[in-house]
Amino acid sequence: MSKPVFPLADARTVADDGDDLRFCSTCAFSQACLAEGMDKGQLGELHLLVEHIGPLHTGDHVFRTGDPFSFIAAVRSGTVKTYVVDGDGRERVLGFHLPGEVIGLDAIDDERYPCCAVALDTVTLCRFSFSRMAELAAQLPGLQRQMFRLMSRDIGAANRLAGDWSADQRMAAFLLGISHRLASRGFSATRFALTMARADIGNHLRLASETVSRVLTRFQDDGLIVVERREVELRDLRRLEALAAPLLGA
Amino acid sequence: MVESFTVDSEVLRRYDVAGPRYTSYPTAPQFSATFGERELRQAISVTNDDPIPRSLSVYVHVPFCRSACFYCGCNRVISQDSARGEAYLVRLYHEVELTASLIDRDREVVQLHFGGGTPNFLSPTQLGEAVDTLRRQFRLSRSVDAEMSIELDPRALSPDDVSELAAIGFNRASLGVQDFDPEVQQAVNRVQSIEQTLSIIEACRRHGMRSVGVDLIYGLPRQNEAGFAATLNTVIAARPDRVAVYGYAHLPQLFKAQRPIRAEDLPSPAGKLALLMLAIRKLMASGYRYIGMDHFALPDNELALAQERGTLHRNFMGYTTHADTDLVSFGMSAISHVGATFSQNFRELDRWQGAVDEGRLPVFRGLHMSPDDILRSDLLQHLMCNAEIPVAALERRHEICFDDYFKDALLRLQPMIDDGLVRIKGDRIVASPQGRLLLRNIAMCFDHYLGAGESAPIKFSRAI
Repeated sequence: MSKPVFPLADARTVADDGDDLRFCSTCAFSQACLAEGMDKGQLGELHLLVEHIGPLHTGDHVFRTGDPFSFIAAVRSGTVKTYVVDGDGRERVLGFHLPGEVIGLDAIDDERYPCCAVALDTVTLCRFSFSRMAELAAQLPGLQRQMFRLMSRDIGAANRLAGDWSADQRMAAFLLGISHRLASRGFSATRFALTMARADIGNHLRLASETVSRVLTRFQDDGLIVVERREVELRDLRRLEALAAPLLGA
Repeated sequence: MVESFTVDSEVLRRYDVAGPRYTSYPTAPQFSATFGERELRQAISVTNDDPIPRSLSVYVHVPFCRSACFYCGCNRVISQDSARGEAYLVRLYHEVELTASLIDRDREVVQLHFGGGTPNFLSPTQLGEAVDTLRRQFRLSRSVDAEMSIELDPRALSPDDVSELAAIGFNRASLGVQDFDPEVQQAVNRVQSIEQTLSIIEACRRHGMRSVGVDLIYGLPRQNEAGFAATLNTVIAARPDRVAVYGYAHLPQLFKAQRPIRAEDLPSPAGKLALLMLAIRKLMASGYRYIGMDHFALPDNELALAQERGTLHRNFMGYTTHADTDLVSFGMSAISHVGATFSQNFRELDRWQGAVDEGRLPVFRGLHMSPDDILRSDLLQHLMCNAEIPVAALERRHEICFDDYFKDALLRLQPMIDDGLVRIKGDRIVASPQGRLLLRNIAMCFDHYLGAGESAPIKFSRAI
């Protein structure tokens, strides 16, 4: 049986709710904690609050810019978009957060969330009290490393797009990025749904909506991908990787 | 593709049961009033957001006819008053504006169809104005294979009118004929001379229409083999690119228009079948290809070519060469198919008009397709266009095990397999040449809403 196609909820990816002793399979921190020899029971003793929230529906906000920082959250299923609104009222999409990824880390500095986070489809989350998490991280080097990794990944993703790349290069890097992230959570690496609107993709990649569709159409005509409504199939990873290499190597 | 085949009338007779025509799946009777304007707006917005939004097909319904053909089962309004066309167009433009404002401008219209009713109830000037309005509100494709088609009643049209229609951009026409037999024409209240009809076909050609089609009907009152054979000979001699041969469905309890038809004038089931076989024999012997579901085309016509390449599609307007599009439809009773939804406009002129006047999308019912609907619709699309079901491709695309998922359907299909109408060939289920005449029956086996073994309720016409 092939791997599940995102965002399909599947026993192999999200149905595992964990229990008193085990983590959800998509938990962003489970690997780090387990590596420290801690199970969920021990975390409970440390009064680390892990709270399941959702399902949120399309358009529901997890937090908004300026809300006091009280938690970070890991996506368990669905997609969360983070964005800011600039002085002219224009939205700028910061990123898309897939199962196993964490939102709210960028609030650590100011004690307030610097962006909005909104559900793009049906989303469930794990919410952590950040202060408790920080206390715990101080005792657990592995957890601390994991948090640093997550934070630097956020920054890296933003920096990669800042360069002077062509539309084709940006799009190839975007598709491969999603592919890698989903694959690491047990989803199919070559088939997935783009749960975000093309305007959001364009905004994130700094391309016009029409350009997003034109580039994807060209990729399709060239046999790199097949697009059917929201579903994308990557047909030629090697050529996509070659296109994206300058960005991914940067 | 099949050039010729023998037809076993005994087998066809056994499969003459009532069933839908599957211009959509699910079929219109499944639409629900819980689907309204809000749902259509939402569906349009979702499709705008797709990574590659689909191109558009646009349908415009012109409900008026100058006289009532008794066989008709369409939503139409009988009127001699041209002013009604003008009033209708005012609302139609309003509806077009309301809808077009919701659709992203980079989505190209690759197929535009005017149907009815009688589109040429409107003058060429009015039709030109309607097309101009659509051009202003949508991006009409300038590609050579962009389709602009219109259904024409040759009785209310001159060859000069055709020249104007071609100048507007119409490049495909289908002409209502039904039967040239005068007795039949009188019995159905549609008297139309051969000369009128041929002059319009000729004018369509002269003005560069890429495809001219003729619609015939078998099973009409007073119809007989001799008369229908003469009609077929006349039509074949004119060599239209496409010929549709529809079975007349006598459902007077459902269609008031049909009540003047006397049941005793109708051919017997055997007589009706003989008329169909006559049409198939003559058309095939004259070089027409059978496309499927009542449609024939010359081998060099785009439909026949697309079928050979495996790129034929089917939507509410019938067979088309255009790949999956979102269908946006305007006018009374018109049905749209946007994303995974169907929606239908009010079927009464005053209610449609009332909604548009209030600035609302005039939707009165529709549905959201379930994943099961989408799977079965995909299967039926392949069946209708290619006369086969691509089992392995469907399993992959929809992540199912075909034999498990369609266990009941395959049981229902077994008699057709036993009769040699359907064969299982490796990873495909293929209709035999004769089975291709019974695509509707094959489709019914896979229709979730018909239920196991039951025949359809009376709201559907018979298969033959």
